[in-house]
Amino acid sequence: MKPAQQYHLDGVRKVFGRGQVALEGFDLKVARGERVALIGPSGAGKTTLFRMLNCTIRPTSGHLRIGGQEVADLYGRSLREMRRRIGTIYQQHNLVPRLRVLHNVLSGRLGSWSLLGSLASLARPSQLETAHRALTDVGIGEKLFSRTDELSGGQQQRVAIARVLVQDPDVILADEPVSSVDPSLAETIIKLLIAISDDTRKTLLVNLHSTDLALSYFPRVIGMKAGVKLFDTATSRVTPELLQELYSGHAPVNGAGEPYREPEHRRTAV
Amino acid sequence: MNSTPRTLGSRSIFPYVFGGLFLLVLADSWRRAEVDPGIFFEAEGREHLWRFVTGMYPPELSWDFLELMVRPTLETIQISVMGTLIAVLIGFPLGLLATSTFSFQGILHESEYRGFGPRHAFKVCLYGLARGLLSLFRCIPEFVWAFMFVRAVGLGPFPGVLAIGVAYGGMLGKVYSEIFESVNERPLEAIQSTGAGRLQIFFYGWFPQVLPNITSYTLYRWECAVRTSAILGLVGAGGIGQQIEISIRMFNFHEVTTLLIILFSLVAGADYVSAKVRSLL
Ligand SMILES: Nc1ncnc2c1ncn2[C@@H]1O[C@H](COP(=O)(O)OP(=O)(O)O)[C@@H](O)[C@H]1O
Ligand SMILES: [Mg+2]
Repeated sequence: MKPAQQYHLDGVRKVFGRGQVALEGFDLKVARGERVALIGPSGAGKTTLFRMLNCTIRPTSGHLRIGGQEVADLYGRSLREMRRRIGTIYQQHNLVPRLRVLHNVLSGRLGSWSLLGSLASLARPSQLETAHRALTDVGIGEKLFSRTDELSGGQQQRVAIARVLVQDPDVILADEPVSSVDPSLAETIIKLLIAISDDTRKTLLVNLHSTDLALSYFPRVIGMKAGVKLFDTATSRVTPELLQELYSGHAPVNGAGEPYREPEHRRTAV
Repeated sequence: MNSTPRTLGSRSIFPYVFGGLFLLVLADSWRRAEVDPGIFFEAEGREHLWRFVTGMYPPELSWDFLELMVRPTLETIQISVMGTLIAVLIGFPLGLLATSTFSFQGILHESEYRGFGPRHAFKVCLYGLARGLLSLFRCIPEFVWAFMFVRAVGLGPFPGVLAIGVAYGGMLGKVYSEIFESVNERPLEAIQSTGAGRLQIFFYGWFPQVLPNITSYTLYRWECAVRTSAILGLVGAGGIGQQIEISIRMFNFHEVTTLLIILFSLVAGADYVSAKVRSLL
């Protein structure tokens, strides 16, 4: 396996608790520096896939290789080191509300810091300059010392992006990063993510429920539905029929308690 | 449609069963606890009560006595503060280990172990041990702890400090672990995904979320400790309590009144201080 391959999934399957199959026979290859959008209805398994790609959960069966490394062989320190090289932006930002912005941003450094160093930083921030630069890059440099829960949803999403910036990973995973912001801001954030991944040649994978954004900004689009891959193709090959098929049929299976805004075309289909 | 009245009917029997049991327990307790309101109406009983109450008035306010009571008063405050501090030192780490989402299950452990390896078993044991210790510490009343520590280290404030430290450590640890369990796990997952270790996740993701709850519960416990330290004094563990015990034994009820007033002021003061601190959070 050439390490040029960022991700290599082979027959990955994920079953939750009482036989809830979230992902089935999933194959995927993503090259280093590639930019891929994933689309699909709620409950398709997109979040589950991302949580495997960032080593939070393990496949029930099948192979998951990251940079040529079999993830099943990683544990403890080597697992944390792998996680450090993958940055994730979550749908609900997943910031610590009561912490100041700078600490939420600097928590991206934890993988590189010692325990004592990270404790000391809570009292007397180290790498304040790094945090400030990252925040400035995402356009909210002045919020460095604000309390995180005082920011708007869009600003919090930027803090989450700044956290990934200071983490400086090889891969950026963004799980529906724009589902809680208005459309114009959504476009700005997608552009920002693309700019970041371009500048530093990072691999970028984004979950989107807006097919428009996926089609206009990503060269490769993967359609997922009910835990299987429906299509995986160059954007130019995505046809209205494919999209129709992707979003048609069964009632939405809701994910693990996630609030989900149903796209317009879905509501009409049901 | 048909089943609605049936389930109602079958369910409605339980309130009667439990109500009946409750009345039985109540009646039995009344008898066994020797509750006897008659004592308030008999001439002799009234006289005893009257003598006791009038004996307490007026409070002893002579300068000599008050001066003597300064040290025990300060001692009570010190016992409550030191005791609570030790309780935190015991309760915090044990409470953390007794938190299942920290110790062995949940999103922070999804990826660590496949199945039940020996390391996993070890973690579960540690968790069980912490829970067991916390139960033991808080199931034995602080009064009994004080009694044992007085035997072990002698009379004075130190056994009081130890008793509060251990008994309250058990209570704090239990409640801490419940607070820890209730945090929002999403930020923890996010911090873990940056490659952070368990303790780093704790201090960056967990601790800030629980800090207000932890602080206010600890302060509440400190208030209780002020009162408790007085009770512990009765078995010889220093402070105001020990003075109350001496005064009662000497039939100096005037002094008891003064001491109760001091105790009341201490508890009210602790209440005020902790309310102030909480309002800052
Ligand atoms: N922790 C979990 N426990 C049980 N079932 C889950 C869990 N997470 C996700 N699922 C299930 O897996 C399926 C895929 O969910 P998810 O990955 O969140 O989909 P998406 O992100 O595409 O909306 C859903 O049916 C969901 O109910
Ligand atoms: Mg999702």
